[in-house]
Parts: sequence; C-alpha cells; structure tokens
Amino acid sequence: MAIAKAERLMNLALCLLGTRRPLSKRELRESIEAYVEAFGPDRGAAGSDDSFNRMFERDKDDLRELGLVIETVENLDGEVGYLARRDSNRLPPITLDAEEAAALGLAAKVWQQARLAGAASGALQKLRAAGLPEDVDPYEAHGALEPRIPVHEAAFEPLMLACRDRRPVLFDYRKASAARPEPRHVEPWALECWRGHWYLAGWDRDRGAERVFRLSRITGKVRSRGSGFTAPVPDVVTVRETVASWAGEIADRTALIRLRTGSGYPLRAKATSVRELGEGWDELEIPYGHGLDAWLVEFGPDVVVLEPAELRSDVVDRLRAVAKG
Amino acid sequence: MAGKPVRPVNAIDQTRRMLSLVTYLRERPGARIADVARAFGITEDELVSDLDVLPMCGTSFRGGDLLDIDTDGERIWWHNPDDVAAPLRLAADEATALLVAARAVLTLPGLREGDRQALLRATAKVEAAAGETAGASSRLSVTFESEGGVFADVDRAISERRRLWIRYYSPARDEVTEREIDPIRLVSVGHTYVEAWCRRSEARRTFRLDRVAEIRILDEPSAPPEIELRDLSEALVQPAAEDPQVVVEVGPGGRWVAEYYPHDSADELPDGGLRITLRTPDPASLRRLALRLGRDGRIVSPPELADSARQAAREALAAYDGVARTPDAPQGADEVHGVHDRQERGL
Repeated sequence: MAIAKAERLMNLALCLLGTRRPLSKRELRESIEAYVEAFGPDRGAAGSDDSFNRMFERDKDDLRELGLVIETVENLDGEVGYLARRDSNRLPPITLDAEEAAALGLAAKVWQQARLAGAASGALQKLRAAGLPEDVDPYEAHGALEPRIPVHEAAFEPLMLACRDRRPVLFDYRKASAARPEPRHVEPWALECWRGHWYLAGWDRDRGAERVFRLSRITGKVRSRGSGFTAPVPDVVTVRETVASWAGEIADRTALIRLRTGSGYPLRAKATSVRELGEGWDELEIPYGHGLDAWLVEFGPDVVVLEPAELRSDVVDRLRAVAKG
Repeated sequence: MAGKPVRPVNAIDQTRRMLSLVTYLRERPGARIADVARAFGITEDELVSDLDVLPMCGTSFRGGDLLDIDTDGERIWWHNPDDVAAPLRLAADEATALLVAARAVLTLPGLREGDRQALLRATAKVEAAAGETAGASSRLSVTFESEGGVFADVDRAISERRRLWIRYYSPARDEVTEREIDPIRLVSVGHTYVEAWCRRSEARRTFRLDRVAEIRILDEPSAPPEIELRDLSEALVQPAAEDPQVVVEVGPGGRWVAEYYPHDSADELPDGGLRITLRTPDPASLRRLALRLGRDGRIVSPPELADSARQAAREALAAYDGVARTPDAPQGADEVHGVHDRQERGL
C-alpha cells in the first residue's frame, strides 16, 4: 500500500523544520521514505524525475497552506536548497486565560464550510499546543447559543481564495430577473454574509465599475484569470449597505396605507404612525423603499395604498396580473 | 445530539493536527488519550490513527531520527522528545477562520457582556500573534441578525430554565398568536431562531426572533421533554414527506423562489423560468407567494390555491376602483435586484 499523504507531508515538514542548513531536493527525496517508495532513488531517470518534481512542488504548496514558511536558498554551486527556519515558523508568545479560551472555542465551531472549519480547529489546535487552557464545555460556559455560519454556495471556496490571493476571476452570473447567465470578469475584493446569504463585492472589468454579486446566482465554475488587479481596492468595502438598499431596508420616502384591524403585524412594527379609522380599518404611515409594492401585495385585500400615486399604481398593476391569473 | 458524523480523512487537516500534537505531547508526558482527543476536538479513533502515523515520521527518516511515540491504549509517551516541536505560527486561513468567526460572534447583540469582553481580548491577542497573516481576514465578514432585547430574554430563560410567554407573528397566516414555550437553544443561521417545546401545540417548534412581537419570562420552570437535538446545518424547516405538494411556475423574475423555499425539484423552463415542486403542511399559506409573484409566476397546483390568490387579488382591486391604468413600472437594474428576505423560511 502506498504511504499515506499525511505521513509524507509530516515527514517533509519535520525534515524542513529539523534541519539547520538548506536541504537539496535530492537529499529530501532520499531521506523521505514515501518518495523513495514511489520514485526509487534519484538515478537521473527522466520520467520519475518529472513526477517526483510535481509531487514535491504540490507537497511544498500544501505545507505553505498550513502556514509553514519554507525558504528557498541557492548555495555557491547554484544548487537550490530548502529549509523552514524555526524563528520564522514559531508562534509568538500568546497567553490566554480560561474565559478567553472558552470564547475562542465557541467561535471556532461556527463555520459550516469544510475548509474554514478545518482551518479554525487547526488554529485552535496550534494555540492548544502552545498552552491555551483546556476549555470547560463551551456550551456550558455560553448558555444555549449556537451561532453557525452557513455556506451552501459552491462558489464560496474559490472566491475566498481569489479574494485572499487577489486573483481576478471569471464566472457565469444570472441576474435576478435575467433568463440566461452572462459571463462576468471580476476582481474580487471581499465576501460578506448577511442574513445567511453570501455576497461578493468587486470590480467588474467589463462594466468598469464596482458591483455586488449574490453567490447563489453564480452558475457553473469560478475560473481564475491570471494577472493581477487593474483597479485600486478601496479601504472600506461596503457590501451590506448596498444589499440593504436593494432589499428595501433603506427607505427614503414614506407611504400612507389603510390596513385591516388586527392584520399585518410586520407593517405595524415598521409604521411611524398608526391611526384608527374605525369600521375595521387603521391608517398607517410606513417607510417606502425598494420592493415595498411586492410586499404590500402579499397582504391582499387587507391593505389599500393611499399615497403616493406611484406606489398605488405599482400595487394595482401587480394585483391585476394576479387577478388575470 | 446525534452521533458525530464520521469525517473523511483529510491529509491536510491530519498533517496540521499531527504537527500540533507533537508540540502538545512534548509538554505533557503520559497524557491521557481521552484528554488529548478532547483538547483537540477529535474522536479517540482519530487520535489513535494519528498515533499510528507519528512513529513513521521523523526529522530524517533514513537517518533513523524517528519520533518514538507510543501508547498503551490509555496514555501516550514520547521517549525522545525533540525541539523540532516548537509551537507553529498560524497560517493565513487559520487566522482568517478564527478571527472572522470571532468578529461574527461579537455582532450577536445577546452575547453576555462577560463573554463579549473575553472574546474581544482573545481576538486582539490572536490578531497580534498572527501578525501580518491576520490581514487577509478583513476580506471576509459575517453579520448575525438578531433582535437584541428578545435574544437577551430567551438567553436568560434558557440559563435560568424558565418558561417564556410570547406573541408570535406567523407570516403564513398573517396573524399574531400567544403561546407559552419552553426554550431549548438559540441557533443563528443567518437569522436567529429559538428552538423550543411549544406548550400550545405540544410539539417542537422553531421561532424566528425577529417575528417575536412581545416576550415575557414566566416564573414557571421550563420543562421541555427530552428530545433529540437535530442537526440544523442543512435547513431549519424541513418539510415532511406526507405534506401536500405545490407546483409553481415562475418566469426569470421569479427564480428567487427556488433560493428561498426548500423544494423537491426545480426544472428549467424554455423561457428561462423554473417549474418548482415543493411541499408544505399548509398550502393555503402560499397564497402570499402567489400574490407576491404577480406576473413573475403562477401556482399550477393545487387549483384551489391558484383560485384563492385570484380571488384575493380581485377583492383587493375592488378598493381601487376608479384608479386609472398606468404603464408598467420600470424594473430596477440592480445586480442583486429583489432580495426577498421577507419571504424566507415561512414558518
């Protein structure tokens, strides 16, 4: 049976951490059993060299993903050597008390995305190894709260990595009301989760403007486009405000409606004034932002829009469409 | 809690864990397997499989410097501890995962003040220890939504084990009902919910905190029956197989329905729309959806539901008699046009 990848990676990490001088690729190949087993000793055979080189590069990348700083050093003979210096790989001293440890323990559990869940518990394990106090059961310490960060969108992981590495991406995106997706070239800046949905903010290369995308509307694969960013990244990226305005959370006007007594609690909760009209009706003043017409139609005959005329006619149009069925 | 799902062996996570394990074991000769597994948040089986691999690893395998780590099944011994095992710095993804999660938890208005302070201190220390690798964590952020006052009362009721009285809004029926509930736990998945035993329906119910119109902590003790907690990671509201079926056809402008309603199937239509089949215990509650969709969609079945939406629209129109017909309102050109959050997860 081939030697498991974890064993191979562990040996490579320990060799690089344990050495005081740079080790050449040849030395590493000869001292790590998994390489010897898979490729035999280095005899300069061309075929096995290529596949060894590919595996070695991937293994180094994997260890770097785990946070290992691996230096590449060239000696006087022009031979390349590798080492992971202890001082550049050591965690700076960090002392956390039991309360702080419990709080971090709770935070480390909130990810529901495999890669970040693994990274969060990896961080906690590193801190644990460095002396983080062992927690009492975090749920015991924090009552019955179970916050979770949902990630159902397939586009999340590639976009997270692209944001991290500042790599432009290409994906197919279907706007809410569009029949077909269209390709979009984006320089991704930041991802934000709001109300359980993930959004991406970035620079849309084709439109030459900042745009916000909802991840669930990305269809197909997210592909990387080499090269770097062409537009400057703003210091503060505001995804939530943009989405909130589309969701009608940001209202710039007011509307006057009639509402049947006892119905429409959420409208009452938002109302700036409520007046009893008698005969089973109340009059409410409510904030008027994007999407209010669609929401009001949900209440059917329990709502009548009085003002403004524009909202009134939007609601009537929607009702007519349903009435025609 | 249902048994922990068996995680697939992921070589990256295992390597990461073994590197920390080596550091941890150096400081704790004779550590107990049960304690180490708990400290690392893994099962004892996972730990034992790590302990099988470690003796095959060393700073120079061919030179013979293998880690002499063994276990008698209860305790773990490392006979030749080595200074290769210094604590390792955090990787960028590790710092990001921990810091983003910590900042998200800090946004919970109901978090107890003592816990908030502890988490703030811990976050600052982790940021400092992570150094420049903490930078990328600003490219990811999460806000939990929860209603502060309601949250604090539910949290207190859970820790003091007391019953709650609530007035709760049900969007499906557009009505506010009073009920007494025995709270079990708070869950934040986008919105914040309390899972509770509802004394009125004698059943487990999930209540969204922003729909709680009024709340009071009662003197009676909370006594929910022993029930198995479900894994809520997929969806909070899971329709039952015996629930009646509803078929909705939407145009391109109604595709959001598939994003907000758990459904059995969503088939593409030639015009760019979808034919969505879903199940709900109470199809009448979907009249709101039919009204909201307008020209962007229609109920195909059951026919009674389609009729009731048409009827409601006609009744509503009667109040507008005399209003002149107006041209179609211009459509918004936003990228994320129409975030129909209010439709979400009708309970």
